[in-house]
Amino acid sequence: MKNIGDKLSVLIFSSIILIPLFLALDRLVWVAGFDPVRWFSSIEANHLSQGSVGFTFLQAILSTIATIAIGLPIAWQLGRYKWRGTGLMRAVLTMPFVIPSIIAAMGFLAFVGPHGMGLRADQDTHLWTLIIAHAWFNMALVIRFTEPVLSTLDRDLEDQLRLLPGGKTFWGKLKNLWIPLLTPSIAAAACMTFIFSFTSFALVRWITPLESTLETVLADVGERAGILGYEEYTNDLVLASSLIQFTVMLASLWLMSWLQEKRQSLLPQASENSNLKPNPRGLLILVPGLFFALAPLVTVAWSSFRIPVREQGELTYHWGVEGWIEAWSGGYSNTGVGDALLNSLGYAGITLIVALPLGWSLAKTIHELELSKSKWARILDVFTMLPFAFSAVMIGLGVLLGILKLDGELNSLWLLPVLPHIMLTTPFVVRIMLPAFRGLDPSYDEGARILGLSHRARFWKIKLPLLRGPLLVAITFTLAMSLGEFGASWVVARSGEWDTLPVLIDSLRSRTGWDPLIQPTAAAAATTLMLITLLLFLTVERFRPKGEGGMF
Amino acid sequence: MLKCSGLTKAYSKMLFENLDLELGAGEIAAITGPSGCGKTTLLRCICGLEELDSGEITLNGEDITSVRTEDRGVGLIFQKPVLYPHLDVGGNLRLAGENIEKALSEVGLEGFATRSIASLSGGEGQRVALARALLARPKILLLDEPFSSLDHELSLRLVEDVRTVLKQRNCSAILVTHNREEAAKFADIILEIF
Repeated sequence: MKNIGDKLSVLIFSSIILIPLFLALDRLVWVAGFDPVRWFSSIEANHLSQGSVGFTFLQAILSTIATIAIGLPIAWQLGRYKWRGTGLMRAVLTMPFVIPSIIAAMGFLAFVGPHGMGLRADQDTHLWTLIIAHAWFNMALVIRFTEPVLSTLDRDLEDQLRLLPGGKTFWGKLKNLWIPLLTPSIAAAACMTFIFSFTSFALVRWITPLESTLETVLADVGERAGILGYEEYTNDLVLASSLIQFTVMLASLWLMSWLQEKRQSLLPQASENSNLKPNPRGLLILVPGLFFALAPLVTVAWSSFRIPVREQGELTYHWGVEGWIEAWSGGYSNTGVGDALLNSLGYAGITLIVALPLGWSLAKTIHELELSKSKWARILDVFTMLPFAFSAVMIGLGVLLGILKLDGELNSLWLLPVLPHIMLTTPFVVRIMLPAFRGLDPSYDEGARILGLSHRARFWKIKLPLLRGPLLVAITFTLAMSLGEFGASWVVARSGEWDTLPVLIDSLRSRTGWDPLIQPTAAAAATTLMLITLLLFLTVERFRPKGEGGMF
Repeated sequence: MLKCSGLTKAYSKMLFENLDLELGAGEIAAITGPSGCGKTTLLRCICGLEELDSGEITLNGEDITSVRTEDRGVGLIFQKPVLYPHLDVGGNLRLAGENIEKALSEVGLEGFATRSIASLSGGEGQRVALARALLARPKILLLDEPFSSLDHELSLRLVEDVRTVLKQRNCSAILVTHNREEAAKFADIILEIF
């Protein structure tokens, strides 16, 4: 680390990540006492968390299997055959991943709920709805990881294999080419899907309300933890749930990192094949895939205009904008959509101002350390991924309890939700910018130095324009993530006046009692957030490098 | 005038040791030798992109051994022309100076200022890189196998053109190449590294 800026960025990041979490852990252990056996046994002993460990693993494993089963055939069709509008199809099929999970929950509930297919009365359908919702949310990972391998494979490799005994049959090609080539990508996507399903919050909270995962336990009891003499059992639950989650996430991330390394060495460097053949039968996979990707989103928008009316025990519907009027006026909540949107935009803007330069600087530092072959490069690289090992709710709780330990008054600070947002988004900025720095030809900088350009001139005239694409991806991704962030905001936002749009949607949906406008109002708020996210997503797609095979 | 004394550089193996080199004003030298013998590293050390293990470099009497690359007044043309794809030909030249039309006409590329980098052929790209390097008015120009990726006929034509331009400007230059014919056509003196 040659300059002061690099050292400062590492120091700021370390402080933002470690201090709140250390303070939170310290506070919890101080209240609960150091007794790990009691912490872990409290999970099965307490009715609030009984069965949550088993259910967390079960739904995460089933969701991962379903995601691969749905995503892989779609990726195969997209990567191996010629389609009109491939770019648009790719964008639509990978869109669910950037949609805030609370909107996905609204979409699936509207689809299977009493105003849709009417499946909710049968509780057996809850788990399957959750698994399909997770598969919907994560299929983009499978497509983004595997499709570039399929679409950019050097045709000579395939043609050569056809001339050899080992590649004469379909099974031979599968065994000798496709399975070895695709396995690291599929496994990496499976790993990420498992992580996201394991820590899923909004979807579990809304789709399987009768079951608990470790994440929902944390969210439910977390706000009561850390207070001496008050419901102290919650501290045991929070400590045990966090430690289990942290261990599983860390192991998954380690596996993921190892698989990524393997995957990078196998990822073909050829450009996208232009001599692909059409495959009309593939429409049987792509059309249902597109329908699957769009249905929950269309359902959310559609249900915002569909007002239920109950007359003499009969349920009928009419079309209207009453839901939108209520959503924007705030008739059913502490804040209207406008104010919540302003809160969300404010938090997203401040998050961007901090996370972007911080992530840029960290990625640059890691890259410079890599060039000097320093062992610190790997250490810093792994350290910047540390927040991935914490779920959103864990980070929210860390901030809340950490602040409580510092000064109880601080938790009424409007800015508070920004801190978890920065913690959650900075690693993504690093993950987006680091490959960009690695891919930047060093001779560009050397050439500019030879021409006598100063450090500042090289930054503005060379580096920044050349990195414009990934930088814009990082900007839009940070904004989209912050706008849609739910778990941490739900834990940290202490006052209704600061509600972000996802928190507002949740509070609208949580209202009890029959009211015909509740569902359309929540759906109108969700549609607003969805449209903003889609706008950001389409912007990102314009700047994404072709054939890029990462999750972001 | 360039004077290199006792230049030493090693990575896992010794590339050059106590190497001395002198080049007069307007003189053109070619350095030949097999791959991996340290030709490119020598050029990178002269322009400051690599640090020497020991030795001293003076240019026009000034010790530039510890001077930053940006301030050395040395030009370098890479094996593959380093042209910035986000700028057009004119924009690339403006990084070095203002009189771009004259610089382009000197290398036979009149009217190329608004052309995109992607539209240039290999030879045109090298000419743009040469025009830009000369526009920066270097005290000495270093050329790191800039003709090696071009076909034989084109490379020989370009060798002659570049030599003419350098001689017109009385600009000293060092060409690194493994092609003896190219070295003979381009340089006043030829040095061999083993």
